[in-house]
Formats: sequence, C-alpha cells, structure tokens
Amino acid sequence: MKTRSEPAPLFLRRLMEALRWRLWIAEKLHPTEWQTTLLWAALAGFLGALASLVFSGMAEGIHEFLTGSSAGVVESMRQLPWWACIAVPATGGLLAGLVLQFGKKLTRDQSSTDYMEAIVIGSGHLPIRSSLVKCTAALFSIGSGGSIGREGPMVQLAAMLASFVGRARRFTPPQQRLLVACGAAAGIASAYNAPIAGSFFVAEIILGTIAMESLGPLAVAAVVAALTMRVLTNAAQLYHVPAFKLHSPWEMGPYILLGLLAGVVAPWFLRSLRGAERLFVATKLPLTARLILGGLVVGALAIRVPEVCGNGYSVVVDILNGNLGNLVFGFHLRNGHLVWIALALVFACKWLATAASFGSGALGGVFTPSLFMGASLGYLFGTAVNAVWPAGAADPGAFALVGMGAFLSAASRAPVMAVILLFEVTLSYDIILPLLLCSVLAYYTAKGIEDQSLYSESLRRKASEQPAAGLPAGRVADLMKADPPVLAVTARFAEIAQRFLSVRVNNLYVIDAAGRFLGVVSLHDIKPYLAEPEVAELVLAQDIMHEDFPRLGPDQSLSEALGGFLGITAERLPVVEPGGRLLGSLAKGDLLLTLVEKRKSPPPG
Amino acid sequence: MNPPPNLLAQPDAVVLDLPVTSGEAAIRALHARLALLPAVTDPDGFMRDLMERAAVSSVCISPEVALPHARTSAVSRLLLAVGRATPSVAFDAGHPAVRLVILIGTPKKQVAEYLQLVAGMARLLKNEKVRAALLAAPTEAEFRAVLARGLPG
Repeated sequence: MKTRSEPAPLFLRRLMEALRWRLWIAEKLHPTEWQTTLLWAALAGFLGALASLVFSGMAEGIHEFLTGSSAGVVESMRQLPWWACIAVPATGGLLAGLVLQFGKKLTRDQSSTDYMEAIVIGSGHLPIRSSLVKCTAALFSIGSGGSIGREGPMVQLAAMLASFVGRARRFTPPQQRLLVACGAAAGIASAYNAPIAGSFFVAEIILGTIAMESLGPLAVAAVVAALTMRVLTNAAQLYHVPAFKLHSPWEMGPYILLGLLAGVVAPWFLRSLRGAERLFVATKLPLTARLILGGLVVGALAIRVPEVCGNGYSVVVDILNGNLGNLVFGFHLRNGHLVWIALALVFACKWLATAASFGSGALGGVFTPSLFMGASLGYLFGTAVNAVWPAGAADPGAFALVGMGAFLSAASRAPVMAVILLFEVTLSYDIILPLLLCSVLAYYTAKGIEDQSLYSESLRRKASEQPAAGLPAGRVADLMKADPPVLAVTARFAEIAQRFLSVRVNNLYVIDAAGRFLGVVSLHDIKPYLAEPEVAELVLAQDIMHEDFPRLGPDQSLSEALGGFLGITAERLPVVEPGGRLLGSLAKGDLLLTLVEKRKSPPPG
Repeated sequence: MNPPPNLLAQPDAVVLDLPVTSGEAAIRALHARLALLPAVTDPDGFMRDLMERAAVSSVCISPEVALPHARTSAVSRLLLAVGRATPSVAFDAGHPAVRLVILIGTPKKQVAEYLQLVAGMARLLKNEKVRAALLAAPTEAEFRAVLARGLPG
C-alpha cells in the first residue's frame, strides 16, 4: 500500500479557513455570474460617461479654437464674417480627412470600428486605434460646425472602452458583446442624460430584445453613466420646456396627421442621406476632398442660416420655447407668417446641410439632427393648423415636441425608445398621449414606406459582407470556453480547496492523465467538511466526484445544450468530445445571451 | 438511497480480533464479512476497488485508525465494517501500528452520504476516550454500545 507524506497541518487549516470565508461571503452576497455581469456593466457605464465628458470638452475646445468664440455653435457661426463661415467647416473637413488618411497607416489590419456591428454580428471586439482615429476625425467635423450629432462618437468611445475591459477580462464573445452594448447604452445615457432611453436604444435598436438578461446590465450601465454625468457636470434634463398639455380632445386629429406626416418624411430624410452619400462617392474625389466639399456646403448655407451648424440642439430649444425671434438673418421676427417661413427655410437648409455632412463622410451621429427635423416639422405643422383652426393646435410648441418623438420613432424604428427619450429629455409627461400615439403611427407609416431605419442598412450590408463573423452558427463548440479549471483524479482535498479558492466556479472538472473527462467535484459537497482536517487528509477527487454529471458534445446544437441545463443548478457544463477528452465548458449565461441575440440577428442580403 | 441513519452505530459487521498481520489482510478480512451481504453485488469488484483506492493514497486518518474505502458499483448501498486488530498491523510506512480498521463501501452516486459517513467516523474516532473504550471493549455488544454512545444526538 502506498505511503504519503503528511500535508502541513497548519497550511491545510488555513486553506480550509480561507475557503470557508470565501463560501460564507459567496453565500451572503450570492454573486452569481449575472450579478458579476452587472458590476462590469457599472464599470462600463462609468467609463462611458468619462469618455463622453472628454469628447464633449475636446469638441468644444476645437470649436473655440476654430471660431475664436466660446459661445454655442450657432451663435459663434452667426458672429463670423461670411468667408469664415465657409472656411471653418471646410477646415474641419480638411483636418478630419487628414486624420483619417494618416490614421489609415496606424490602423492597418484592424477590424471594423462600428459598435453596432461589433454587438450584432461581431465578437464584441472594437479596435482601439481605429476607434480613436475615427473619433478624432469626428472631433474636427463636429468642432467645426458640421451638421452632425456628437452622440455617435460618444457612444463609439464608450463602447470601445467597454470592449477593452471585456478583452482585458477575457470575456466570452456573448459577454463581450453585452459589455459593448452596455458601453453604447452608457454613451447615449451620457449624451442625453437619459438612462432609460439609453438602455432602450440599445435593447430595441441593436439587440432587438428587452429580455432582462440583456436589459438589466444595460440599465445598470446607463444609470451609472447618467449618475456620473450628474455628479461631475450638474447635468439636468436636456431640454427645458414649458408645460405642454392637450388643450382639447380635438387636438388629437391634427396630432394623428402629424404622426402620419412624420412617418412619411422620416424615410425620405434617410433616403436623402444615403443619396447624398452616393452622390459624394460618385464625384470620385478622395475622402479628404469630399469632407472639405461637405464643409463648404455647410459653410455656404451657414452664411445666411447659421442654424444649420451643429447638431441643432439650440434651435430645438428655441422652437420648444417659442423663442424664434432671432431665426434667420438675425432679424427680430414678430409676424407669425414670417416666423413660419423662416423656420421652413431653416428646416430645408438643415436637411441639406445634414445630407452634405453625412454624405461627405463626416463621422458623427444623425440622432440629434433627427430630433431637430422632428421639432421643426412639428412646429411648422402645428403653426399651419393653428392658422386655419386655432382650437386644433392651440400650442405649436407642443406639436414640435410630439414631432420630435414621431420623427425619431420613424427614423430609428424604435418607438418605445423615442417616447421614453422624449420624456426623459423634457421631463414633460402631460403630452404623453399624443406623443405615444404619434410615435406609433409614425413608426407604422415609415415601416410601410421603407423597411430600413437609421441603422438597419449598414448592419445588413456588413452582415452580408462578413457571414463568417456573424453570430455563432448554433453549435456548442462556437460558444465554448476552452481551458476550464480541472483537477487530477488523485487531487487531495487541500488541492481541491485551493482550486475552488482561485477560480469562482461551483464545480471542478476531474480529468485523467490523457485529459479525458471523468466527472466533477462539487463545492456544495465539500462545503460542510471544511472544518474537518481528518476528512481533508483522507479524501481524494476520485472519492467525491460525480461521474454522472451531464456533459455536452461540441457538435450539439444550442437548443440541445439548453436542454442539458434543465433540471440542474450548474451554471456551466463540460464540453466533451466523443472520445471523452475534455474540450472546454459552456456557460448557461452565454447560451441564454446568444439565444436572445439570435432572435434578432440581421437578415442576410 | 440515503444511508441507514444508524449505520455508524450499527455497522454491518464488527470483528473484534482481526486475525491479520498486514493492512491488506485486514481489508480482506473485513471485505469477506461484508461480501456475505446481498448488498454486495460483485464481491470481487468491490475488493478490487478497495485495493486500487488504497494503492493510490494512504487510507489512514491517524496513527491508530485506518479507513479503507471505495466508491464502487459493486455495492447497492452504503456498507460499513469495523475491525479491531490485536496486536496492531502496519498499513503503510507512515502508519505501522493501526488498531482500528473501518471499511466503507459506497455506491457511486452517494457522494454526500459517503462524506457524511467518513466525517462522522472521523469525528467519533478523534475522541481519545472513545478510541480507548473501543480498544478495550470486551464484547461485540459493548463495542457497538461504545459506537452508539459516542455518536452525537
């Protein structure tokens, strides 16, 4: 019979004590894999908010440098001489182009930087250098007054940081995708101080599901981001608006018409952006020249209509507050007819400027410009109705607010997010009835006209270009994590305890010398005996392993794998090849996330 | 499949004077007693598993006590046999004078019950008075009574 040397009793006692403490803490706090995910989501939210703050500050700094004014974008452009109005956006285009051109050398062989693509059809990996190059280019486009939103790069940066954290922690692709989605939610929440909309933006538009498996972490990230912004910047709601209300039920008629109108105009707005892009590409000019040309168009429009510059935020604030006296040419307009014409002019010029910026390849978001389009459209419509039927649209400002929600709903194809965002950025609940109705009507109308949203086309195109990078085909091997923590069949109790201390799992896999899977040792089994050194000295892994533990094959389908988790409490199952060799493990969380994601993967072609 | 609640107090077999001179012989002697029970479905397999386990690592929990055991498909329920060696026997180089031999057979699925039995026996035999009483018990009945008294509750 074999002799063994006695393990050091003191070491063994301390080891057991450490494991007992770890188990006590684990039992009190119960940090499951999902709860741990929430902690990482919170970190993604915090980093996302910081990234947004830095980007915002740098964009303002560049704008001040280029215009010599620290006033808002529209105000500073209004103060510039005509030649500077043209020169500033064109210079921004030039600088953005140069950054992209030289950045290409730094970012060779790097994968796509699109965060939506990384979440929906990629592995959640966002390359840092490429993202930084694009965000730097966006800084110049936005800082020089380009008619484009800053929320796009903010979301991109927040998602990139989340991706970095996920990679550093060696997350699995589903976890990584979820963390990048959390970063994106944090970016939106930071940009608009709207945590609920931030969560729903990603859930509704990108993930296509509001299942708690994904919505929970998104909400945590968005809340932490919004909280960080509030603490660091005293941020409040984005748009301070007067109290709007439904003056009479008769107003619902015009509101319904507004919903239909927004549903018709939004698809044309999107088509015009894509058309402008094609037009710029057709010029065969290099990217830098296209960006300069886009800047020149915006600048030329800004000579007379400075409201075209920037994301349209300040004009929307003026519209919502009925403060349109300074619109166009700086004239103090009192005549309602003239105000209507002036706003119609701004609406048309802003549309053209956004198409020029977007089409020229300027990097930024069209989310806030969409809000501008909706507000203008709503106000113009409300004013027109008011002129012929005052009781039908008592307050055109309320129509502007509802128009924003309807237009955003139609453009993004996310009506729930649109309603929530409008509520969060205005904190105006009184207008909820027409807002909800119009958003839904606009959504269905737009969907009937064109089955493409602000985001769907690029995702569809990328998905068809990169079929291999898409979601897992549905095999266990695609989701499996290699190198799970293992034990030798002769491992002693002390070694088992040490392994349980070093890795946060509830089951350790027992393998033989050839790497064949033999069974699992359960933490649950050994827990009651951690204070008993005699047991610890006697017991080996082979004495306490469960040989009938369920296992998965690498070629099994994901739905079959889900069946494997039924009836057991394990968070992971071993993946074993037909010959018996242990290949890895599959986490239930990854499986559920992937199945949830697969419900709305972009259609091919 | 739970172990009989009184298994610790009422082992399947008690042998007060093991006529052996080695650890292996002690295991064989106790195994022979258990092999008569219908719960042992494959006596040879049971023996093989006991010896294999003892070959992997020492089965002694103190200088005086050995706990040979096997998780095996050769038994249909938890089995316990207790033997007293007079004089002592050598189980291995580290344990040259073992007096009490506790042999356990466990069905493969009963991990928790196995640990429960091993821990219970270890707890019991840690008590020096119990050990002394077991070594001094003149009859099987007294031996069993000491086991029963030594158990909590």
